Amino acid sequence: MAEPLDTAPASFDALYRESARDLHAYVRTLLHDEASAEDVTALAFERAYRRRKTFDIRRGSQRAWLFGIARNAALDELRRRRRIAPLVTELEDQHVHALDEQAEQSLRRAAVRTALDALEPRDREIVALKFHGGLSNAELAAVIGTSESNAGTRLHRAVTKLREACHAPS
Amino acid sequence: MRHREPLSPEAVRDLEAIDRALAGEPVEYELREIEDLVRDVRASAPEMSPALTARLEREIESGFASTPSSVSEPKRTWALPRLRVLVPAAGTVAAVLVALVLVTGPGGGSDEGAVVNASRETTKPTAPASDPPNADTATADPSFQKDLERSSGGAAATGSAGVVPDPDAVLASRNRKVERRVSLVLQTERGKVASTADDVIGTVDRFRGIVASSSISSDDQSSEAVFDLRIPTAKLDAALAALSKLGHVAERRQDLQDITSSVSSARERRDDARAERRGLLRALGRATTQAQIESLRARLRLVRSQISSAQAQLSSLNRRASLSTVSVTVRGDGKPGEGGGAWSLGDAGGDAVRALEVIAGVALITLAVALPLALLGGVILFGSHLARARRRENALDAT
Repeated sequence: MAEPLDTAPASFDALYRESARDLHAYVRTLLHDEASAEDVTALAFERAYRRRKTFDIRRGSQRAWLFGIARNAALDELRRRRRIAPLVTELEDQHVHALDEQAEQSLRRAAVRTALDALEPRDREIVALKFHGGLSNAELAAVIGTSESNAGTRLHRAVTKLREACHAPS
Repeated sequence: MRHREPLSPEAVRDLEAIDRALAGEPVEYELREIEDLVRDVRASAPEMSPALTARLEREIESGFASTPSSVSEPKRTWALPRLRVLVPAAGTVAAVLVALVLVTGPGGGSDEGAVVNASRETTKPTAPASDPPNADTATADPSFQKDLERSSGGAAATGSAGVVPDPDAVLASRNRKVERRVSLVLQTERGKVASTADDVIGTVDRFRGIVASSSISSDDQSSEAVFDLRIPTAKLDAALAALSKLGHVAERRQDLQDITSSVSSARERRDDARAERRGLLRALGRATTQAQIESLRARLRLVRSQISSAQAQLSSLNRRASLSTVSVTVRGDGKPGEGGGAWSLGDAGGDAVRALEVIAGVALITLAVALPLALLGGVILFGSHLARARRRENALDAT
């Protein structure tokens, strides 16, 4: 018997406040497009709200459940985008951030961002799920549909690639 | 794809460092690079715009009552729930309909306990009352013969009497000869078998029929009377209706057999023999020698024998057509009340059992039909789910 998410508005509101920023960051990393990321984030929350009675605590945490919904919505958006037109990557307006932060830190973060964008999509996704979503390896496994050990292996491999890319000369 | 390869100690250490860094806990000095990486990635996370924040808070507050977002929902998201409901529902409805047809329709249900329109009737009991009672008046005209060949699949052409495939077509011709055999089982109370047997005989007399044989037997448990009757075919339907009122009709069978070709064949043989006899008589009148006379007389004896044989066969066939064979069995092993009379508590119990049997039959057939449909639907849904998941993963790889 599924244990539904507390259907009280306050409970869902708490889930929203706790995860909206991270969810948006994950979706944005996956889609490379701010407008789509906003729509998919909104759609994910809408779907989660409408399906909150089907949530089963035995299958994972609320956060992992929400990220799973967002992942499906984002992948559907990628599929739709493939059918309509080739992906046009939105260029990051990195210098805007740079103006607001110290130069060294800004440069390092820009390099991280560039390295993250250069990763393979699956590597980029698992890094985003871990670093933005803050999911445990078990929750990662549930979201991407694999075993916990495999999720750990994939995450470690992706992080290693990210570290190498950050150190690579630009 | 799932792998079960164990993580190396270094990998475990790195992953634990990531978890600690994400939790804001201190990380070993040699792993500070990972901590920095976590911090930088998180710090470089794209921020939600104030517009999105306002939009989400507004929609959550209103319970997402406003228009859905501009991202198009995949059609399957809405189509699948409909399929999930409609496919099993349609399958169940179809299964119930099939079950009802099988259980309640002709040929369904139990063989016993059938009423007058019993399922075992092989043909329709609609012989016309205008059938000529005297078979000698029937003639096998060519058009009729062709008609019969068409309707009986050529049986008439071979001279054999077969079961008529289309009784309506056969009965449509007033010159056709049809033999009817009816078997009737009447159920009554054990103590009423004798009186019912008397009623059977009275009914046969009323319709000018013949009781070819009859027997009554009884033991401690049951009593039974068996009659072999001959009823004029022209009055058969009325006689059957009267007989059926004498008890509860537990079973009724009716067979129809077209014997027109046999009648025609016998008649032709007789007529041919008669014509030959006339020729022989004329030849005998013209015979001049004793040898010729003896030879012709010998042939005449043979032809007379053929005429008698053909005539006897013709008469027998005509009797079979004009008198239908009716076998009546009166069974007295029923409980009181089954043989007629007012509807009693026993009848109610019997009806309830019958209703339960029908319900169980419907349920069983429904299950037999619905189960494969449900399995098929499940396989389709599972396949659809897998295909959708695969398409999503492919979309990720293609970016």
